[in-house]
Amino acid sequence: MRFENLKPYFPWITLVALVLLVGAFNPSFLSLSSMVSLVADIVPLFIMALGMTFAIYIGGIDLSMQQVANLVTVVATVYLMQFGVFVGLICVAAGFLIGAASGWITTRQFVPSFVATLAMGFIALSGARFLSGERALSMNAEARDASFAWMFGNTGGVPHEMVIAGVLLALAWFLQTRTTFGRALKAVGSGELAAISSGLNVDRIKILAFALSGTFAAIAGLMFSVKLSGGDANLANGFLILAIVAVLVGGTPLTGGVGGVINTLVGTLIVVVIRSAMVYLEIDATMQQMVFGVILIVAIALTIDRSKMRIVK
Amino acid sequence: MAVTGSPEAQKSAGGISRDVLVRWAPLLVLLVLMAFFALMEPRFLTVRNFARILIAASPALMVAIGVTFIIIMGSIDLSMEGTVSVCAVSFAFCFIWLGGTLASWAWLALPLALLVGAVLGFVNGLIHVKLKIPSFMASLAMGFVGTGLAMVMTGGDRIRIEDELFRSLLTERILNFPLMVYVAGLFVLIAWFIQSRTTLGRNFYAVGGGEELAHGSGLNVDRVRVMGFTLAGVFFAAGALLAVGRIGIAETATGNNFMFLSITAVVVGGTALWGGIGGVWNTLVGVLIVFVIGNGMVVIGLPGYVQDGVLGLLVILAVILSTDRKSISFVK
Repeated sequence: MRFENLKPYFPWITLVALVLLVGAFNPSFLSLSSMVSLVADIVPLFIMALGMTFAIYIGGIDLSMQQVANLVTVVATVYLMQFGVFVGLICVAAGFLIGAASGWITTRQFVPSFVATLAMGFIALSGARFLSGERALSMNAEARDASFAWMFGNTGGVPHEMVIAGVLLALAWFLQTRTTFGRALKAVGSGELAAISSGLNVDRIKILAFALSGTFAAIAGLMFSVKLSGGDANLANGFLILAIVAVLVGGTPLTGGVGGVINTLVGTLIVVVIRSAMVYLEIDATMQQMVFGVILIVAIALTIDRSKMRIVK
Repeated sequence: MAVTGSPEAQKSAGGISRDVLVRWAPLLVLLVLMAFFALMEPRFLTVRNFARILIAASPALMVAIGVTFIIIMGSIDLSMEGTVSVCAVSFAFCFIWLGGTLASWAWLALPLALLVGAVLGFVNGLIHVKLKIPSFMASLAMGFVGTGLAMVMTGGDRIRIEDELFRSLLTERILNFPLMVYVAGLFVLIAWFIQSRTTLGRNFYAVGGGEELAHGSGLNVDRVRVMGFTLAGVFFAAGALLAVGRIGIAETATGNNFMFLSITAVVVGGTALWGGIGGVWNTLVGVLIVFVIGNGMVVIGLPGYVQDGVLGLLVILAVILSTDRKSISFVK
């Protein structure tokens, strides 16, 4: 097997090497139960990263996801009593609409997605702060259990949040590889002008891609809200950068067109293994951020496929 | 990040050419905003208030100018939060260690902080160029390293700088504006000089305008990139010094919020994220737009929860108004 053929598997190899390395230092890391709880804990991050994949896959970026998730935690908490389980629909619709608005501003108004989504995030933040009255709200425990207890149950040792993540991953994977929409996304990501010339309705595809990332952000926010049993305009803070890092480490470059949702799965796992490895290896709390940055540089250097990049910007 | 259309599309349609209009659009946006806030609340137009805006804007202006050079090259630098924190903290440690007042040898801490910024930027550039990691990721990771390093150095503590001579950056006023505003102005002039009067400045535009062309004409693109990131690091350090001068405290959180703030300001000022267009003056206008909006909303008494949303809306509007829609086919 030639070296070139191995390139798509670099993220996988990095992940396995990392797991084995940490396992060698601390064998308890390799136990099944610790792994399952580790993976179950990161489901909201993974869902957010899945959504981010669509925005990055077409060569854009979505910086509003964290604020959309924040807004959704507040919406879910405030309207849970009134609408029960259907509050989920409201949340997802809100995420879809905010994402679509970002997409419209980017494609039709020529505002780079970096700024358009950042600004839409501020607008969502305003909504969250207004709705929550600038307080941390908590859910009515009975209403929460009646509507959303299924989210965090456990069947035969498999946590339900993992099942949800699996279903969403399958859905995203199906969209990306088995539908014309997925093909169109790839076309837009690898060459927008060529996509326009071949008659694709590029604007609609891009708006939909951003709407999808907004939708996933909303689902992640809903899970946060149920898990922590409350809503707050700052609840999901800190997840945006991690979601971007997860997508990039997985091997989906910012230029778009390459990579995809499976890469994001691997990328999220790499990020989580690095983070939890520091706990297992008993690295001092003040050192963790720095070590994370250094390992990240090494991981990115190892995983990204440079064969399709002529210029590295 | 965007593709420019045919050259004919950029020609004017008679009267004031659109080129001129687009070039001055950010400044027009700034003036309209100021007029609007002044109409809503006359107190906005006082010298006191302008001083307040400029004090708040000075550190961010330094950081935004640093990243402007990188964006002109078509790259991006997201390491500013970490770099600012490390520079602020190492300045504070060194300053106190050497005597704690500018009247002693402690003044050496000032050039040292700039040097620390340069080194961090240099490393950032090397990682980007030598390991061939896109600048977005390389600098983001370097930002983590920087924030982490500042955390290790301080152990989470805040360091107070109480030297009156250093704090005169804020307390000493000339013509009603504190010294730090003039210092920031000096750095803007230096940046403008580098941009328009040095080979390095020209090379930034050459790289951003078309990297393969620049490479083909014999330019050592990698070297220009590394020097660009080093220069950006120096300006981040200047921002760190002004930030410490403003609040008198150096800590890990000194760098917080600079990343999105500075890049938003750069884009609002009319510098294109895909490189080759814009510059220092654009960034000055962009930073002022962002801070005038922030200050104006407080002055006219908008409730806090509305302010983020209004800022978002106005930023989108400002970018729309200062983009030449006819000359680009799409943006990413």
